[in-house]
Amino acid sequence: MASITLSGLTKTFGTFTAVKSLDLHIADKEFLALLGPSGCGKSTTMNIIAGMEQPSAGTVRFDDRDMLNVPMGRRGVGFVFQNYAIFTHMSVYDNIAYGLRMRGLPKAEIDARVRQVAELLGLTPFLKQKSAGLSVNILQRLAIGRSAAVNPQIFLLDEPLSNVDAAFRAVMRTELKHLQREFGQTMIYVTHDQLEAMTMADRIAVMDRGVLQQVGSPIEVYNNPVNTFVARFLGSPSMNLLPARLGTEDGRPVVEVTGLGRVAAPASARGSADVLFGIRPEDLTITATDLPGAFVMEVVFVERVGPRTIVHLARDGQELKAIEGNGFPVAIGDRLGVVAKPESVRLFDAATGQALDKEPADG
Amino acid sequence: MTPEAMTPEAMTAKAAMSDPLPASARRSHTPPESPLEAEGRRLGFLMALPTQLLLVFIVVFPLLMQLYISLTAWTPLYGQNWTQAWQSWNWFENYAEVMQDGRFWSALWRTFLVIIVCVPAQFLLGLGLAILFVENFPGKRVFYSVLLTPMMVVPAVAGYMFFMLFQSGGPINGILSDLTGLNVTTAWLSDPSLALAAVMIADIWQWTPLMFLILLAGLIGVPEDQLKAATLLGASWWQRFRTIMLPRIRTVIVIALVIRTVEIFKIFDNLYIMTGGGPGVSTETISVYIYKVTLQNLEWSYVATVALIILVSLSVVTAFGLKLMDRR
Repeated sequence: MASITLSGLTKTFGTFTAVKSLDLHIADKEFLALLGPSGCGKSTTMNIIAGMEQPSAGTVRFDDRDMLNVPMGRRGVGFVFQNYAIFTHMSVYDNIAYGLRMRGLPKAEIDARVRQVAELLGLTPFLKQKSAGLSVNILQRLAIGRSAAVNPQIFLLDEPLSNVDAAFRAVMRTELKHLQREFGQTMIYVTHDQLEAMTMADRIAVMDRGVLQQVGSPIEVYNNPVNTFVARFLGSPSMNLLPARLGTEDGRPVVEVTGLGRVAAPASARGSADVLFGIRPEDLTITATDLPGAFVMEVVFVERVGPRTIVHLARDGQELKAIEGNGFPVAIGDRLGVVAKPESVRLFDAATGQALDKEPADG
Repeated sequence: MTPEAMTPEAMTAKAAMSDPLPASARRSHTPPESPLEAEGRRLGFLMALPTQLLLVFIVVFPLLMQLYISLTAWTPLYGQNWTQAWQSWNWFENYAEVMQDGRFWSALWRTFLVIIVCVPAQFLLGLGLAILFVENFPGKRVFYSVLLTPMMVVPAVAGYMFFMLFQSGGPINGILSDLTGLNVTTAWLSDPSLALAAVMIADIWQWTPLMFLILLAGLIGVPEDQLKAATLLGASWWQRFRTIMLPRIRTVIVIALVIRTVEIFKIFDNLYIMTGGGPGVSTETISVYIYKVTLQNLEWSYVATVALIILVSLSVVTAFGLKLMDRR
């Protein structure tokens, strides 16, 4: 069991900076999701933790031990590759036993451990099979089992669900979370899928272009994004961001959303400036057009996705998406009122993209 | 024994010739094909026909001719066309004679000796070099080109090169003299016990690159993720090599070994230039033996017999190798 501390971690490839002075602490037994678009540096970070790459600057510590001089095989890190990297020329049994055999453990001990891990992962019926040609969910469990057999302190998973079809991904998410509780290891999970991060992680670390943007619990990151990048990256559909002006009316802060109308601004917001008005689609309510304070807009598109109806609204070039329930009575061309929940409004500096009521993010 | 049935060439030719047959047989218990399909089949047959005819002429015909001549005592010295060879029909006398021919058997044994020494040597050297070249290092491209050069040299030229190198006053003795401080004047190529070694060294020099190239291709194909995964599980380099790389390049290894075994079996040009099979018969391999019997003794029916026996033996070796490959 171990915590992970990254400080000042930087990795450059020639002139390209993959990771820029990253500081991050991951607690013992924590499940942290490293979230970001491709090329944001999340896989590089992972490879450095595992020891597959050396950082250009900064340190990696497990508990209090500096890991930079520890070769990758001795760090006690279990790594699940994106394509699982199963030894396809071996049986399932031999795959799980691999790490134990490399350590030269006695045969009986290896056998007991392999059976224990296989039982835990539901792999017992497959032990004698060749691993080539097994289905993807078995392969994933095998990849986890192979790493788990040697009892690593830390588990790193590199987009393990990206090869799995959507329907199965939901099953695997639950299974993975369950397994993490079972094994009780510190786990870092790299993904570009915000849904995976939201559903599984204790905390989410969002990265963009090598820079850590925000770390926090899924709800915190979702509700209070520190900048427009995080606001856009999390949530589906993502947060509405509209150009607006912050001002005051009767001594209270208000936001004048360009071309749409006025909304009360969060009390903490003050001053007068160009801002971006942010609101999650689910925090918009569709009402009658004559409700005071409602934006009057026209429905341009309706997506009915089972439990939800995503209503696309527009007026004077401003566009909003709102989420309503299944079967919500709306049609293209309707004129409707839209009301934002005042407590859900988030404001961002139009120039820097930083949240107005937040400290600027590191970096 | 009907040796021609076992050779791969014969099998290919036979399959090619009888190709339309199973199709017509199949037609009886499959739904009737449309005119378009029938036309397509006819066109396919016509397009393959030239190749099939060519195969008949270059493989089947010479093979049958060889078999025919091997059952006679015919030689061009009789002044008769080979078609008249039946006049000296002698059944399996040639075969019986080959079995008794000490020179044949020692040539065969010598050929095996070259194989037993050269194939493993080329394999181990090639594998070692391939392992080095999987990793990147400065100057790799230059080394790579240099390493492949011997393979590009015409074997006859390589033979002449080694003929010069191994002269008693040649560079090899020169280097040995410098290293040992003695005046080494070994007559490599005219010493019956050393000449074969010199020939082997030349072959290893020339053909290790091929082994290297094939094995390198195999090693590059080993998935890097699997090697990383093994490293993360605590495997040392040697353990990774034994458990991941080696099993993954097994097929490639078999192919490389079969290619070199078959090629060395036929070793001729460089050897003939270096020693001419001598001194005496001390470097006479099977090809040199066949060459001498053909062109010096003109015993063509006897040569046909020997060549047929060799063809069959080589086919068996190849089939064995391919079987090893299938077992994975």
